[in-house]
Amino acid sequence: MSVSGNIIIMPDKFRDPYIFENILSMQEEIFSERASLDMSRVAFMEPYSMLSFLIMGRNYLRTSGEKLKLINVPIHIQQYLTRMDFFENGAFNMPEVLKDNMMFKRNVSSSRLLEITMIPNKERQSVNVISSVIALFRKRASIILKYWMNDSVTDYFVTVISELCQNIFEHSLDSGYMAMQTYRSGNENIARLVISDSGIGILKSFSGRDDLHYAGAAELIEMALTTPISSKREFGYGLCQVNSIVERLKGVVFIRSGGSSLTALYDRKDTNSKHIFHRNGLVQFDGTQISISLSA
Amino acid sequence: MIIDVAKTAKELKVKLPDLITRPVGRMMYAATIEKLSIIGAGETVILDFGGVKVIDSSFIDEYIVKLIHDSREKDFYLKLRNISPISEINIDSVFNSYSNYKDTRIAVAREEIGKNNRFYIGPLIEHESDIMDYLRINISAGIDDISRFSGIDFNLLKSLLDELSILRVIRRNNGNFTAV
Repeated sequence: MSVSGNIIIMPDKFRDPYIFENILSMQEEIFSERASLDMSRVAFMEPYSMLSFLIMGRNYLRTSGEKLKLINVPIHIQQYLTRMDFFENGAFNMPEVLKDNMMFKRNVSSSRLLEITMIPNKERQSVNVISSVIALFRKRASIILKYWMNDSVTDYFVTVISELCQNIFEHSLDSGYMAMQTYRSGNENIARLVISDSGIGILKSFSGRDDLHYAGAAELIEMALTTPISSKREFGYGLCQVNSIVERLKGVVFIRSGGSSLTALYDRKDTNSKHIFHRNGLVQFDGTQISISLSA
Repeated sequence: MIIDVAKTAKELKVKLPDLITRPVGRMMYAATIEKLSIIGAGETVILDFGGVKVIDSSFIDEYIVKLIHDSREKDFYLKLRNISPISEINIDSVFNSYSNYKDTRIAVAREEIGKNNRFYIGPLIEHESDIMDYLRINISAGIDDISRFSGIDFNLLKSLLDELSILRVIRRNNGNFTAV
């Protein structure tokens, strides 16, 4: 990171959830400097980083009453963010606006994605939004999941989207966002579903459960993912069900909440090597951010 | 009684083909319970999921699990029809979690044979599965017949039949047992 006047030059660290920790570690400085963010060095942005960045912008707007200003955004990044409806959420100021003929077309060939959708924290509104998201996903599933397509994968993802989006209004006490995209990284095709909120987080959500014992928040995240514990009722099956589906699909689950994260690499489970990894002591970032990925 | 689940959903203006979320499960449960108000004691209620692709665990918890509890309290039998493969997986997962962590099991009979090669969904043990299969083929049998077929110790068989009756996946009629 380099700071020039009130401009912070953002590094090219939007490539995956682990590298994005670099951006999260800049949050305090970004907020205190009230700086413009120079995006000229950002060459690539994937959906998890994009949604977390959006949450960061929203947090800034809520605390300062001002929008974060992006400058020198490379055209392809601006095209991508516009295509994903990143700027529709009103958290960022961007002085330069691309001409219409430079925008990505919204046609079938550019539909390997679900644009950013806000999941409200009100039950009734949220149910309607989730239903619309799933209807759109069903329309685009054959394109989004082209490399994984069989009869059941679409239905698996309907379950996953539904369960994770419900957790926002059920547990976070705040609204959140979801997005999905298939993109190419090196020789791999990656389908990534991301669901993020800036709510109370998993640790606080379970603060009333004195009967649960865990070493750190990452261990609690694992319990929430692998056993049917719930902070609100006797059982919660949602995350457990998501976990078993991702395991079945040999995908990857990444969950970050507060200052902890968990990664479950089910694509490696067959090798008998360790496949669940905890991290505690990360930079505090409110809410819960979840990424579900398949590779082909 | 046959409950056409998709039709009930349409009456409630719920979008198909997926039945997801707790609020939708609660709405569907309230509508179904109203329809069940006229059933007689010991009647079989078939929940026909034709036209439904995915039911998620939240919906299952609010709808099927509640109806299973009701079937025990209000004396009716529940049976599922036209369950999609993903719905079977989701139901099985919820029932297994419930049974593992609650110290009491739930299971439900189904009309077609499932991906699990069984006529039920839920965490039954091997002997119980054998009994279910036998009753499915033979419709009705006494404990002596089942004992001869299965080779299960008579006292163990008696307790297994009691347990399957409590789970309401088989019926007990004048000393005979029948498939739901």
